[in-house]
Amino acid sequence: MMRVYVDINRCIGCRSCEVACKRVHGGKGHVNVHISEDRASVPLFCHHCEEAACTMACYSGALTKDGERTSFSLDKCTGCGLCRLACPFGVVWTDKLAHKCDLCAPNETPTCVLTCPAQALSNDYELALKRARARAGRATILGGKR
Amino acid sequence: MIQVDANKCLGCFACSNICPNQFITREEEEGKRRTIRWSKCKEECDICVEFCPAKALTLIPYSDSTPEVIEVSFDLVPCEVCKKGFATEPLLKRIRETVPSNLQTDSTGRSWVEICPFCRRELEAEMASKQVVQSRRK
Repeated sequence: MMRVYVDINRCIGCRSCEVACKRVHGGKGHVNVHISEDRASVPLFCHHCEEAACTMACYSGALTKDGERTSFSLDKCTGCGLCRLACPFGVVWTDKLAHKCDLCAPNETPTCVLTCPAQALSNDYELALKRARARAGRATILGGKR
Repeated sequence: MIQVDANKCLGCFACSNICPNQFITREEEEGKRRTIRWSKCKEECDICVEFCPAKALTLIPYSDSTPEVIEVSFDLVPCEVCKKGFATEPLLKRIRETVPSNLQTDSTGRSWVEICPFCRRELEAEMASKQVVQSRRK
């Protein structure tokens, strides 16, 4: 199970990840694509924080850290809404009960990553690193222009 | 019968969500005020007591002299950014108490607790895409 990395340079704002997430989670999606000035777009979802504030606010044990993943068990949730208010990024939703990104566990690769037509989402740390290095290299060659 | 300690109640949704008989209801004036009502109940059930995050509920023997409905109301705290009410003050207080203070600010040092989840996403998107937007402005 790996985190999902976002390459904002590649995101085309098509919302395929939103739709795919909704499809596999019974109509309740956990991805939210934001458009910035009509020039860039960012898919927002759970960061699976190492020190996850939502797990600290949750009193019923529904939200816990499970390795890298911040996991959620529906049967323990009371729908109090504390996690929604404790998430610094606003990506834990409460729709009567809470719901959030589960990295599509137990699948190896999350559905949003499989779906993204622009390959803006990946769960390959090495790939994310390689792209960032390549971009920095190009920027140096072009004198700061990207 | 349920007894409510209004000073302890957070104004959250736990008891009204969990009550199997809909004796506990809530009403929300979008962005302004939230009211929770506990009807007099004779059930031998203490699920709400057990699941209250603030331990604000207790069971007391049934009595005819007490009111039919107990009501607690909260003004919603306005979001620092969009000014729409989004949470009760006791809920935000609880967040400030349970989340370590070093986690209560973002990378720019701004406290996020008083910002509503919608605006938190907006700010996050803005921050994350700043560089890309700038490079595409030309």
